[in-house]
Amino acid sequence: VSGFRQARRRGLLFVVPYGASFTAFIVLPIVVALVLAFMQFDLTSRESIKFIGWRNFQEALADKYFWMAMKATVSYVVLMVPSLIVSSLAVALGMNAMSHGRSSVRALLFLPGMLNVAVSAILWRWFYEGEFGLLNYYLKHLGFQPLPWLSDVHYAMPSIVLMSLWWVMGGTSVILLTALQQIPKQIVEAAVLDGAVNGRLFFRVLLPQLRPVLLFVVITNTIAGFQVFGQPLLLTNGGPELATRGVVQYIYEQAFSTYRLGYGAAMSWLLFAVIAVLAIGQYQLFRRAVS
Amino acid sequence: VSTKASLLLLFAVAVVLGLLRSDLLSRMTSGRPKVQISFWNGFTGPDGRTMLEMIRKFNEANPDVEVSMQRMAWATYYNKLMVACTDNRGPEVFVIHASTLPRMQRAGFIAPATDLLEGPNAIPKDDFEPYVLAQTRFGNDYIGVPLDIHPQGMYCNTDMLKKAGLVDAAGNPKPPADKEEFLHAANAMREDPGHTGHPDVWGFALSMWQNNYQSLLPQFDGRYLDEHGNADLANPHNIEAMKFIASLKPLVPPPENGLGWLGFRTQKVAMVWDGVYMLGDLKRLADMPYIGAPIPVIGRHPGTMADSHVLCMRRDLNPAERNAAERFIRFVSANSIEWAGAGQVPARRPVRASPEFRKMQVQYAFSQQIPWMMYPPRTPVLFEVSLEIQLAVEKVVRGRASPEEALRVANENAQRFIDTDRRENVRKGGNP
Repeated sequence: VSGFRQARRRGLLFVVPYGASFTAFIVLPIVVALVLAFMQFDLTSRESIKFIGWRNFQEALADKYFWMAMKATVSYVVLMVPSLIVSSLAVALGMNAMSHGRSSVRALLFLPGMLNVAVSAILWRWFYEGEFGLLNYYLKHLGFQPLPWLSDVHYAMPSIVLMSLWWVMGGTSVILLTALQQIPKQIVEAAVLDGAVNGRLFFRVLLPQLRPVLLFVVITNTIAGFQVFGQPLLLTNGGPELATRGVVQYIYEQAFSTYRLGYGAAMSWLLFAVIAVLAIGQYQLFRRAVS
Repeated sequence: VSTKASLLLLFAVAVVLGLLRSDLLSRMTSGRPKVQISFWNGFTGPDGRTMLEMIRKFNEANPDVEVSMQRMAWATYYNKLMVACTDNRGPEVFVIHASTLPRMQRAGFIAPATDLLEGPNAIPKDDFEPYVLAQTRFGNDYIGVPLDIHPQGMYCNTDMLKKAGLVDAAGNPKPPADKEEFLHAANAMREDPGHTGHPDVWGFALSMWQNNYQSLLPQFDGRYLDEHGNADLANPHNIEAMKFIASLKPLVPPPENGLGWLGFRTQKVAMVWDGVYMLGDLKRLADMPYIGAPIPVIGRHPGTMADSHVLCMRRDLNPAERNAAERFIRFVSANSIEWAGAGQVPARRPVRASPEFRKMQVQYAFSQQIPWMMYPPRTPVLFEVSLEIQLAVEKVVRGRASPEEALRVANENAQRFIDTDRRENVRKGGNP
C-alpha cells in the first residue's frame, strides 16, 4: 500500500508543473474574466469600477456591433468549416490513393500550416492586392476583370476563408488521411467484391468509418472558426465597412482599444456560450449518426 | 590551454561585459549610478533611427543619465503603455498623440509637466501654437510637451506636373492651390490613351479616405463636437465636405483597386493627400520626383487635419528620475530640427523659422497650413468616434450611402458612445 501511495505521490509531482501553469494561465484568467463580466471596469477610469450585475450582458445583446460581429463570425464558420471538410477529405482521398510520393505531397500540404498567421496573412495580402496583386495579375493576363478581393463587402469574407483554407487544410487532410489508413482493408475489399465502387464505396463504406474523426474535425474547426481573429485583423482589419470584423476582434477592441474590460469579458462569455451550445449540438448529432 | 582555463577566461569576459553593461562600472568610476530613463514610442519607421541618434547625443552630453528607447507599432503601443503604466511599470518618458491624451489622461498615470512650460528654465510657451499647446492642457496643468505637428498635405509627382504643363512662369512644377486648379490638374495628369476608363496614370487618388475627408473639415468650417461635447458629425459644413469627397468618384480610381499611397509611390497616381510622416517612405525611393504642397483650398479657406506627438512623463518618478526626464524632454524639444529631418514639422516656432527647416521642402510646405489645421475630436471616446467617421466615409466613397445619411448614422452612433462614456465614467475636473 505504501509503495502505491509513493508512486501516486511521484505521479502527482509530475503533474504539478503543468497543473500550476494550467491554473495560472487558464483557470485563473477564466475566473477573472467571469468576475470582470459582471463589473464596470474601464482601465482609464478606475474610480468608476463597480459591480453592475448583468448590465454588460444586456448591453451586448442590445449592441448592433456585437450582432454585426456575430454575423461576420457565423458567415466565416459557415463558409470555412464545410469547405475545409470537403477539400481536406478530397485531398486525403487523393493522397490515400497515391502509390508513390505520398509523403512528399503530405509534407508540401502541411507546410503552410507551419507558418505563423502573420506571415501567411501578409503573404496573402500581396496576393490579393487590387492593382499589383498576384491573383489580379493572372486574372488580367487571362483576360478577366480584376477582382476586389479584400476591398468589397461581398468578396472580403470569402477571400479570408480562401486564405485560411490554404493555411489549415494540410493539417486537417493529414488527420483524415490517417483515419482513412486506419480503415481495415478487409472492409474495403469486401465492399468492392460486393460491387461497391466510387460513390457507393465512399458514401456507404468509407464515410461511415470516418465519422468519429469527422466529428472531431468538425467540432474543433467550428470552435476555431468562432475564434477567428488573426486572418481578418491582418488582411482587412475588420473592413470593409466592418463586414469581416468577427466577435473576437470586437472583444479585443472593446478590451484593449477602448479599455472597457468588463464589457469585453461579458462578450467573451457570450461567445463561449454560443460555441459550447454548438459544440454540444454537433457532438450529439454525430454521436447519434455514429451509433 | 586546458578546458578549466578556457572556462575561467570565458567567465572573466562575461563578468567584464556584465560590468560594462550595468551601472556598476559607472558607479565604480564616478561614484554615482546613472539615472536610467526608459523612453517608449511608436517610431518604428525611419523616424525611429533619427530618434535613436538624438538619444545617443543626449546620453553623450549627459553622462549621469542613460536613456534607452523601446519602440513598438502604434497599433499595440497604447495597450502596452496603458497596462504597464496603470500597474506602475511603465516607462519614465513616453510619447502620446495629442488626440489620444483625453483617454490616457483619465487613467491618471501622466504627470503634470507645467513646470517645463512655466517658471524658471521653462521652454517658452510662446514657442508653441496656442491651439497645439491647448491640446495638452487639462484643468490647470499641461501634461506634456508637444514635440511636433504632423499635418496632412499634398504630395505631387513633379514629372507629371511638368508633363501636363502645370508649371509656373519659371518653368517649375506648380501644384494646384484651389478647387478649380485641383480638378483641372487631376484631369490633366490622368493618362488614358485608349479611353478605356482604366487610366495608366490617375491624376488623383484618395489615400487614407478618412484623413482625406477630415482634412477638408476645417476648410468647410466643419466640426466633430458641439460646445457641450456632444456629437455634431452631421452638421451642414461636414456634409458639404463629404459631398466633395463623393463628387470625386468619376475622377479617382475605384475604391476596390486600392490605388492610394501605393499608386503614388509607384507613379501610377500623380497627386495624393497624406501625412508629412509619409516622407520617410518617399525618401527611400531613389528616382521618385515629388514635391509637397498644402492641400488645395477646396472649401472656404485653407485647412487640414493634424496631430502631434507629445512627450509625457510618468506620475510617480523620484526627483532624480524626474530631473533626468525633464532634461531629456528639453533636449529633444530644443533639437527638434533633427527630428524634422525624419519627416515631421517641429512644434516650436523658432525651429520652424530656422533656415535649416525652410530648406526641408515638404515639411516647410506642409507647415504653412498650421494656422488653419484641426486636430481629431478631443474626446475620451476618440477610437469609437473615429471608427464612425471612417465607416461614414467608406459608405460614401463606395456609393453605398449619401453623405447626409452616412453622417446621420455616424452621428447617432457617436453620440451613443459619448452617452455611455458619460454614464459610466467619473469625470475629473480636467476632462474635456
